Amino acid sequence: MKNRLKVLRAERDWSQADLALRLEVSRQSVNAIETGKFDPSLPLAFKLARLFGLRIEEIFEDSD
Amino acid sequence: MKIFFCSTGSAVQRRFVKRIWLATFINVFFCVATAVAFRLWHLRGLPAYCIAVLPALPTMGVLLALGIYLREETDEFQRRVLVESMLSGIGFTLALTTTWGYLEDFARVPHLHLIWIYVIFWVFLGISIPVVMARYR
Repeated sequence: MKNRLKVLRAERDWSQADLALRLEVSRQSVNAIETGKFDPSLPLAFKLARLFGLRIEEIFEDSD
Repeated sequence: MKIFFCSTGSAVQRRFVKRIWLATFINVFFCVATAVAFRLWHLRGLPAYCIAVLPALPTMGVLLALGIYLREETDEFQRRVLVESMLSGIGFTLALTTTWGYLEDFARVPHLHLIWIYVIFWVFLGISIPVVMARYR
C-alpha cells in the first residue's frame, strides 16, 4: 500500500531507526511499511497516525 | 533477522534465543546420556522407551519456544517474517522428505533416518528467513 511515511519522516528529520523506536517496532518493519511491501495492522496504522498527528487516510493511500 | 544469533534485539528475541540455546544444550546432554545409558545397561522394554524419547523432549521445547516467541513478539512484521519462513521451511521439508520416501521405495536410495527431518526443517527455516526478509526490502 502506497504511503507518505518517507516524506513525513523526512519532514521531521527522523531516520527509520528513530521512527522504529517511537513505534516500538524494528527498523525492518518501518522499511517494509515505507516501501509498501508490508501493510501494517489497524492498531499500528492508528499508532502511526497518532504519532504524526494525522488521520490514517492522510498517511496511507487506498489503491482501489 | 538477528534473532538466532543476537546479543542485540528486543527482550522477547533475547528470551527466545536463550530458550533455544537452553533446549539445545539439554538436547545434546540427553543425546549423550541416552547413548551412554543404552551402552552401559542394554535397556529393554519400558525403560528403553522412556530413556530413548528423552532427547526428543528438548526438541519439542524448541518448537514450544518458537510458539511462545510468536505469541510474545509485539512486532507484527517480525512475526510475519517468521511465520512465512516457517511455512516455507515446513513446505520444503515435506517436499524433500516425501520425494526421498519415493526414491527409497523405487530407486533404492539410502534410508533417511526420521531424526533428520527435524534437522532438515531447521536448515530450510534458516535459509528461508533471509529469503523472506529480502522480499520485504
